[in-house]
Amino acid sequence: MNKNEEQAAFTKLGELNQRRQEEINAAAATDLPKTYPMNELVKALHPATQYLKVTEIIDHGPDAKSFVFAPDKDKGTTKLATFQPGQYISLRLHIGDSYVTRPYAIRSTPLQAKEGKYVLTMKLVNGGFVTPYIWKNWQVGTTVAASGPAGELFYEPLRDGKNIVAIAGGSGITPFYSMAQAILENTLDVNLTILYGSRRHDNILLGDELQGIAEQTNRVKLVNVLSDEEVPGFEHGFISKDLIEKYAPAADYSIFISGPSVMYQFVMKEVAQLHLAPGRVRHELNGNTAAPDQFAGYPAEAKGKTFSMTVITRDQSKTIPAAANESLLIALERAGIIAPSMCRSGICSACRSQVLDGHTFTPTEFDHRRAADREFGYVNTCVAYPTSDLTLKVPVHDYANQFG
Amino acid sequence: MAKNYDVIVVGAGNGGLVAAATACKLGKKTLLIERHNLPGGAASSFVRGRFEFETALHELAAYGPKEKPQGIRQMFNWLGVDLAMHEIPGAYRYIITGKDGFDVALPNGREAVIDKIEEVVPGSRAGVSKLFDYGEECIKGYDLLQAGKLLQEVAKLAPAFVKYATVPYDQVLAELNIPLKARQILEAYWCYIGIPSDTFEFPYFAEMLVTYVENGAYAPTNRSHEITTALVHAIQANGGDVWFNTEVKRVLTQDGQAVGVQVGNDQIYGRQVICDLVPNTVYAKMIDPAVVPEHTLKLTNARQLGTSGYLVYLGLNKSPEELGIKDYSVFISSTGDSRTQYERMNTLDQNDFMIMNCLNIAVPGCSPAGTSLLYATQLYRDGSWDQVTAENYDEVKDKIARRVIKQYEDATGIKISDAVEEVAIATPETFARYMRTPNGDIYGYYGKKWGQTIARMANLDKEAQPIPHLYFCGGSSFMMDGYSSAYFTGFTIGKMACAALDKEGVKNE
Repeated sequence: MNKNEEQAAFTKLGELNQRRQEEINAAAATDLPKTYPMNELVKALHPATQYLKVTEIIDHGPDAKSFVFAPDKDKGTTKLATFQPGQYISLRLHIGDSYVTRPYAIRSTPLQAKEGKYVLTMKLVNGGFVTPYIWKNWQVGTTVAASGPAGELFYEPLRDGKNIVAIAGGSGITPFYSMAQAILENTLDVNLTILYGSRRHDNILLGDELQGIAEQTNRVKLVNVLSDEEVPGFEHGFISKDLIEKYAPAADYSIFISGPSVMYQFVMKEVAQLHLAPGRVRHELNGNTAAPDQFAGYPAEAKGKTFSMTVITRDQSKTIPAAANESLLIALERAGIIAPSMCRSGICSACRSQVLDGHTFTPTEFDHRRAADREFGYVNTCVAYPTSDLTLKVPVHDYANQFG
Repeated sequence: MAKNYDVIVVGAGNGGLVAAATACKLGKKTLLIERHNLPGGAASSFVRGRFEFETALHELAAYGPKEKPQGIRQMFNWLGVDLAMHEIPGAYRYIITGKDGFDVALPNGREAVIDKIEEVVPGSRAGVSKLFDYGEECIKGYDLLQAGKLLQEVAKLAPAFVKYATVPYDQVLAELNIPLKARQILEAYWCYIGIPSDTFEFPYFAEMLVTYVENGAYAPTNRSHEITTALVHAIQANGGDVWFNTEVKRVLTQDGQAVGVQVGNDQIYGRQVICDLVPNTVYAKMIDPAVVPEHTLKLTNARQLGTSGYLVYLGLNKSPEELGIKDYSVFISSTGDSRTQYERMNTLDQNDFMIMNCLNIAVPGCSPAGTSLLYATQLYRDGSWDQVTAENYDEVKDKIARRVIKQYEDATGIKISDAVEEVAIATPETFARYMRTPNGDIYGYYGKKWGQTIARMANLDKEAQPIPHLYFCGGSSFMMDGYSSAYFTGFTIGKMACAALDKEGVKNE
């Protein structure tokens, strides 16, 4: 570069800066936008919190109820987020001194959500913590906070075949009920075969309603499987490989499973014999156990003990008991700490916390952590069990009131 | 309760993580606050089934091998972050499917690239060699500027940097008599910054090209989440605090100066506040408007938000060998003209510039045996998704995914759509959701002619503290977007804030 070139380059650089100053001087000094279309779309599609109000309670026999919700406009929720049939919302409840979450698959459809209606169907768990509280306290007008829709148990056109074989037990039917009704409403383009396990023919949760849907569309087939009795017109026994093959379409299909742990453990063994391509078997919400010692790799000496857990939340710390057979999350909830959580089955990682000291056990079946989280000592508290005294750093939420 | 800090960093993106790590490494009492429950912003990962997907990283530049560490590796070494990184084989494959199209796979290494381009476009050698000479000078030029050297000195030691400082990249390539086709091949990296080659300032593009080709690029073993988690640990190891799930509502000011932040009902005081946020967010919602100088407000209004991204993450139930995938990074478009590619980024239906990455090629074992982990990326300019609603969101998202997958299959002849085991899609809405940036911006500010690295760096001293004790780092800071740039801004701004504290300390003694 000769002197002239150098001089010319410096002049250009001066001009560039001059131009910058001119552009700035010419710009408006008006206030900047507070929001943008994509950020508004987030509020509609993925709200962090939805405030709901019970508008109707439907009894299904002695031990099941449906709760119909509308948006709680007093708390600022004006619309309900749409969702994929099969997804859940996680309710946030304040019971006694505890703040707990419970995920429930939405039993209603996206079309109903658009009209301001979610329906959740629950089974009473005797001796449980949450459902007895709900049975006792909830009435029309009760308000509750919930997460936005979440979960991965839904039909994904880029991945799944057009045929879904749904295997359900008990209240695990709810995601498939939503799918069935969405098919009827023409918002879900799949063929659904539901293999539905119940104990007795007179105790099938939402059985009549499902039958009603199946009678209106040939894209939904319902097969009731009774474990405790033999009744003409119903299958008998458990949902086995043979039974799946009997009803599954000949063409390419995916299996979706939703139900209690016991059923899941059984069904998975049967499904394995079908040798479907990986990814063609999907399940969700099975991550809770009160017997971590039943899983491979559990350190036997920890069984039956209660450990001391020091919990660090931002700049506070507190020491609480943590029983070996309960998840870290339950220990936090028992101690009244507002710990984050959502799916409670080790998948969503909302409860991700840092173990600073001590040991925990996560059953391999429920361990969906990121590799680096395993490497650096983070756990999902909902599926991690204490196996020694420990120190846990929990990222408690500060914003909104997570619990309404 | 400890509520006084030397340095408070708001936002744990790549810039904020390094700013906080730098401040506590320099002995300052440091607090890093992040609204989300994970570090990294866009630099993250997520698990679906048997796969852990990379959210954002394509290639980490300026890292270099252990025996010849480049800037980022030196910085990480200093911070105590030591990760097993994988060198990415080859630079990129670029397929133009339209008229005058080409399909070229560029290797790594200066001479190999020059040979390859000469082979594909005879008559390119002299020009491309010169381009690499210039690029090497430009690397030196940036280093000199960062070291505080004056332009006169830079002009002597790295003349190409000064000579072409204000000239667009494509124009220099034309002046070097590089044939059009070779120019287009050498312009593919425009997408990493989002400025078409007829506007992209030469020194930065040339620096980027040569850095990638000569020093190679890297990827971590366990996705970006491993880097960000390691940075969190570096902060903690040096006595810093990191709070997740914590939203800073306000930047507190007193007498026109930043003095801390508000979290919930708590006020936390900090002598320096560094925000890894888009400044628009701070000025619009987080600070007393009366303390924002008119010049700052005008500058912010004069700028244009950068692009957002659209990604399809694919976990495939076949190995790369079974599928026939050999390349880590494939750029595909129907046209090789970056201006046209850029203009089409404004539309949902015409945008046909895409990148497909297969992580297994760079990081073997990143997914289980017999599977592959792919992700397709498109960029969309600010505003191009504004008409998408809650009602048509799924439809738009799926339609683009199908188009992108088909475009890849058609261009490469590799069939992937029948091997999908897991799939997830990120859109501008997704980035807005997890990062809360305006309109899901992932590239900071668009680089207008007067607002690219040289103009930004030249005004750094003047603009680094728009309000006394308030700084910005990350993609909207004094460099452009990208991991290395964000790390550098965090490092530089972190040091700057600490130096100011040291100076004040001396004054007070």
